[in-house]
Amino acid sequence: MDTLIEELKIKLIDILNLADVSPEDMDADAQLVGGELGIDSIDVLEMVVMVEKDYGVVINSQEVGEKVFSSLNSLTAYIRDNRAEDA
Amino acid sequence: MKKIPVYIAGAGIISALGSGLAATAAALRENSSAIVPLSLFPLVQGDSLPVGQVGGLEDMPELPRTHRLALTAARQAMQGRKNSPDAVIIGTTTGGMLESEQLLRHGIVDTASYRYHGLNTVAQVVGDDCGCRGPMLTVSTACSSGAVALTLALRMLRRGRAECVLVGGVDSLCRLTYFGFHSLQLVDRNGCRPLDKNRQGMAVAEGAAMLLLTNRRPQNPLAELLGAGLSCDAWHPAAPHPQGAGALAAMRTALADAGISPADIDYINLHGTGTRENDLAEAKAVRSLFPDPPPLSSIKGATGHSLAAAGAIEAVVAVLAVRQGLLPGTVGLEEPDRDLRLQPLRQGEEKNVDLVLSNSFGFGGNNGSLVIGRPRAVTSVAAAGACDPGWLTIHGASCLTGAGGRDATMEKLLAGESVAGRPADDQVSRGLDPGKIRRLKRLPRMALNLSRSAFAHCGPGNTPRSVFMGTGWGALSETHAFLERLAETDERFPSPTDFVGSVHNGPAGQVALMFEATGANITTSGGDYSFEQALIAADLMLDEDEAAFVLGADEYQENLSPLFDPSARGGANRADGGSAFVVSRSLPGGRCRVRSVFYGPGTTDMESLVQACGGQDYLQQRCRLILAGIPAAGSAAGEEQLRKFLARVRAVVPVFRYRRQIGEFASATAVAAVLAATILEKGDSADLSADGRPVFSGHDSIFVLGLGATITVMEFTRP
Repeated sequence: MDTLIEELKIKLIDILNLADVSPEDMDADAQLVGGELGIDSIDVLEMVVMVEKDYGVVINSQEVGEKVFSSLNSLTAYIRDNRAEDA
Repeated sequence: MKKIPVYIAGAGIISALGSGLAATAAALRENSSAIVPLSLFPLVQGDSLPVGQVGGLEDMPELPRTHRLALTAARQAMQGRKNSPDAVIIGTTTGGMLESEQLLRHGIVDTASYRYHGLNTVAQVVGDDCGCRGPMLTVSTACSSGAVALTLALRMLRRGRAECVLVGGVDSLCRLTYFGFHSLQLVDRNGCRPLDKNRQGMAVAEGAAMLLLTNRRPQNPLAELLGAGLSCDAWHPAAPHPQGAGALAAMRTALADAGISPADIDYINLHGTGTRENDLAEAKAVRSLFPDPPPLSSIKGATGHSLAAAGAIEAVVAVLAVRQGLLPGTVGLEEPDRDLRLQPLRQGEEKNVDLVLSNSFGFGGNNGSLVIGRPRAVTSVAAAGACDPGWLTIHGASCLTGAGGRDATMEKLLAGESVAGRPADDQVSRGLDPGKIRRLKRLPRMALNLSRSAFAHCGPGNTPRSVFMGTGWGALSETHAFLERLAETDERFPSPTDFVGSVHNGPAGQVALMFEATGANITTSGGDYSFEQALIAADLMLDEDEAAFVLGADEYQENLSPLFDPSARGGANRADGGSAFVVSRSLPGGRCRVRSVFYGPGTTDMESLVQACGGQDYLQQRCRLILAGIPAAGSAAGEEQLRKFLARVRAVVPVFRYRRQIGEFASATAVAAVLAATILEKGDSADLSADGRPVFSGHDSIFVLGLGATITVMEFTRP
């Protein structure tokens, strides 16, 4: 099991108040923004803040953002590739 | 029907461009930007973002910056006037926020320090300064606030409810707006470049503008306010409708209201904030209404976006256009965005213009457009005489209190029991789609619950198009969460979600989303008299065949309510809640009727008050019950007012002091209004008051009095 993915699931449920969603319901390959979870542009901004605050990874352009937040897998990969070594 | 003309008799303005009409006009002619890095308050870390900041604001002891900006503009507008205005209407979103943020960070818990926090205190300070003895109303509809305030003033004057109204908008810079818009990635680090290909957002700004409007033609009117149009996108809490549907509706309504066609407009002052989405949506709307658009521009590259002040500031810019032929350029615009397919003025122009359209759009899809023109020749003018009685028909009602919903609340109150308390979270969220309310905290959930229940309570065919909501303190949970996280993260990670939720008009915007209510959407904030203000707004705006929601709600927030609301009680006596009504002017199927009879300062003399209520005879014949709202913090004054009122009426009428039983919160009046409606429908007040048990028939009325710092009267009767 990928612990970073599992950690992100819990964080997203928390910061986006996905009250009726459990981590098991979340498909790491599924479309994240505009998908079944109802995640929209304000949520993207909230996720950008979380990624920087908790992982020290800055997402500062819309183009990058669109790729990063396309799925949980892409978000996990981006954080893994860009986080500081000891973070 | 011919509309009564409304003239702009005076105007005042203060912004990053300077203070006064002359300085503003001179700065606009220079066509340069006044946007500079923020220096008003220190930042914990990082570089200052560019803002529109007012320099050299006069020091006025104790008063917050918003209030000082408002007073500066108001005194300019009132200069040389002997008479006080009959009403003051102010649009604002910040109130005392700049100072409160600082106090909260320092852990100050002395409630007196927060006495100017409330949005309504701005209108009170301005009203007291110019000797106003009538309504002092506050609207808070984000960036359209100034335009919405002007719309209400226009309606008030056309209806003959006032002869002279001082109206405007004001906001000061504060951390909430500075970091809030930044968290939404809507701020351009390079300064604001409206309509430009490379625009990256707005510059948050501050300022104030006030206009003195009158329906009596002054000797030398500055301009005429010919029309106004409001709409709501009912699309998204923060982003505009991508096709500009709401913007188009507001412009169309304004032109129709003015009785003119698009071809008559000589200049359009755009909202033009410089964000990608706003400018695109606005351009689409403008192009669909104007096949061949007149000259147009945005001043926000020069001034920044002064939020609630913008609509009033740009109304003054429209006055300059018709008075001086000054069409300002679009500062910051280098290369027009081709996708917009507009040719905005880059440099200013000097040109004779007669009619100007001014746009203001805001969060919650809240849109307002104004038509301002050269004063027309006097024709045979219909006199602004006969006041219509202003009755609204109530079709359905709901409430939330510590006892629960409407039925449980009414049963207890009529049995003489208290319902004061906080409705449980699951009660507040009952029946709402968890996915749709996941980002909403307490107040917007209350608003959705209440509007849904009120709608279920009325007969079919009355789907509301408009929303009028009063709230004393707004979404305190979101406001607190935003400020707390901002401080805890050393200003690095403000929450965009909490910022969007913190605006006073957020809850009413959610109601519009749920019901696709694309008509006017007005949030009023008048402290303990907020519900009454919402009712006044509804009465001014409602057309004949239209249904609307009128709501009043407030939440008790552990940290902020005890500091802001001097009447709030802690511990076991914490209380919140509210109510909603579906109303119309005269659609069939009403349960009872309501009208706003009076709204004025607490120092109003009893003779005037009794006259406003219809006179002593009318009160003796009709008034069977008085529901008196005396806030705990104003109990001495309120009791004295009540005693004098009863003595002047000379009738023995049972009085029910509802705050004791409903709870000490700003919108308790809204629940009292449901109580009045329920008693009239039942025809019996049961064990409500120890003073007696009136039974109702025919034309009997219940009067709901708001007492204390302000005096309000609402009358309820059968249809």
